[in-house]
Amino acid sequence: MNWLQSNLQHVGELTALHLLQSIIPVIIGTIIAVPIARFAMGRRRDGRSTERTTSAGKLRRGLVINSAALLYTIPSLALFVLMPLVLGTSITSLLNVYVALTLYVIAMMVRSAVDAFDSVSPVTLEAATAMGYRTTRRFWAVELPLAVPVMIAGLRVALVSNISMVSVGAVIGIQSLGTLFTDGLRRDLPAEIITGIVATVLLALVLDRLLALLGSFLTRWRTA
Amino acid sequence: MSVLNNAIEFKSVFKTYGDNTVVDNLNLSIPEGKITVFVGPSGCGKTTSLRMINRMVEYTSGTILVNGEDNTARPAHELRRSMGYVLQQAGLMPHRTIVDNISTVPRLNGVSARQAKSQALELLNTVGLDESFAKRYPSQLSGGQAQRVGVARALASESSILLMDEPFSAVDPVVRADLQKELLRLQSTLGRTIIFVTHDMDEAILLGDYVAVFARGGRIAQFGTPEEILREPADDFVASFVGRDRGMRRLTFASGADVPIHPLDAQQTPWQQWQLNVEDGRPAGWRIDDRVIPGGSLFVAGGTLRDALDSVLSSPSGWGVVVNEQGQVLGLLKSDDVLEATERERLNRYGVSA
Repeated sequence: MNWLQSNLQHVGELTALHLLQSIIPVIIGTIIAVPIARFAMGRRRDGRSTERTTSAGKLRRGLVINSAALLYTIPSLALFVLMPLVLGTSITSLLNVYVALTLYVIAMMVRSAVDAFDSVSPVTLEAATAMGYRTTRRFWAVELPLAVPVMIAGLRVALVSNISMVSVGAVIGIQSLGTLFTDGLRRDLPAEIITGIVATVLLALVLDRLLALLGSFLTRWRTA
Repeated sequence: MSVLNNAIEFKSVFKTYGDNTVVDNLNLSIPEGKITVFVGPSGCGKTTSLRMINRMVEYTSGTILVNGEDNTARPAHELRRSMGYVLQQAGLMPHRTIVDNISTVPRLNGVSARQAKSQALELLNTVGLDESFAKRYPSQLSGGQAQRVGVARALASESSILLMDEPFSAVDPVVRADLQKELLRLQSTLGRTIIFVTHDMDEAILLGDYVAVFARGGRIAQFGTPEEILREPADDFVASFVGRDRGMRRLTFASGADVPIHPLDAQQTPWQQWQLNVEDGRPAGWRIDDRVIPGGSLFVAGGTLRDALDSVLSSPSGWGVVVNEQGQVLGLLKSDDVLEATERERLNRYGVSA
């Protein structure tokens, strides 16, 4: 407790850094993943036809989903170390974390977003077309809002796993709550390590809760 | 008979998927302001034909004229906004309130939110729903209510043409009967051109001013008024499709109004040991000795001869029970009287005097 009191400002700064490194990749990653997922779905067939995709469409879908899964298997530490080489940044640059974690979010969210678009009833989409919606407007006004419930579920997993992954950056010297682990280990300060763990867990809980609230706000129609 | 204008005309329309012909040289004129029913077994192309009108399905060759204009002359989305469409499963937008659902097409057409809303509230009343439904979401409605909203949404387009694709087939029989009655009531004031798809011959006869019977392979076996089709089926297929209840269905067109009603308090009860139980003026089964047996179907005064006959045949006592619109007992029908009425109807039909 004493350690925390005397280092409160430092912990605060690290929390802010951690927050930034958690949220930004989730936002950017989602913005990139959703169009990829929608592209993978192909042009949905309307109407009663259950045959929704052609064989070319199936291939494209499999390709996109599997490449996303493959991306996820790259060890995070390797990716952090690799980033400066690819991006030409310094090893401790925050940009490394942003780009690496964005890739992970894309890997996770492509799958969720494909499932989310799959969950939208073809009858509803057909009805929208029959009312006179054009494809683009139908996407924004009908398809995307109806995909939100499943997407939010995926987003919560991505956000929480991202929060824990940010800590790994500390190993190569990027400041975050993970720094409290590396520093506490080196200086043999259990209080510092425990502070790091508690703060990370709290951060995850709070952000997850906020996201869940956002989700239920966006999907009032489900619980009404 | 007045000359009817045609709202929709199919001219040599074909639809093929690969080698499979779904609609085979369809030529059909659909009169304005009437209900035309497409009926037929599943896979006969009736739904495909309907969906070609608003180009939810694009036809392979031929022409479809809508109010005299080729329906490919303007973009598909504009064509679709210009006609109402009711789907089998209502197809409401689950994330929009009822009032927003009804406003869909006017909003797409650029009508202001306020105006679209006040129109939607009116339409709720038109289809027999309370304004308290306005703020609800589709998940809070029963199947029948959702379908009413579906009809309101289709009416909001203010077009003269309404396409209805098996709209009442997913609801239970009681609700279906309600919705059918409601549609006829609406149509009597609105006078739209309605194309209605069903696989149910009874529904076709009840609702249709005209009926097109589709046969497998996507051709029209017969087009005419329901009476014409029942009287003179064009071929064996139509005869077998209008089927075994043809004689009964014919009675749908005859009134049961001239069948005498025997008052309940007649001096001698001609129905002998059977006694009709009446509670609050409503029939509540038949009593014989010490047993009470649930009654049969009720004949609402002024109904069809078919209803009258059914009330007699389904009654445990052999006496049909007549009620008014409110369900209050008016009297009883005797089976002999009903049979006599069918006799008169038969002779009338062929212009033979008794």
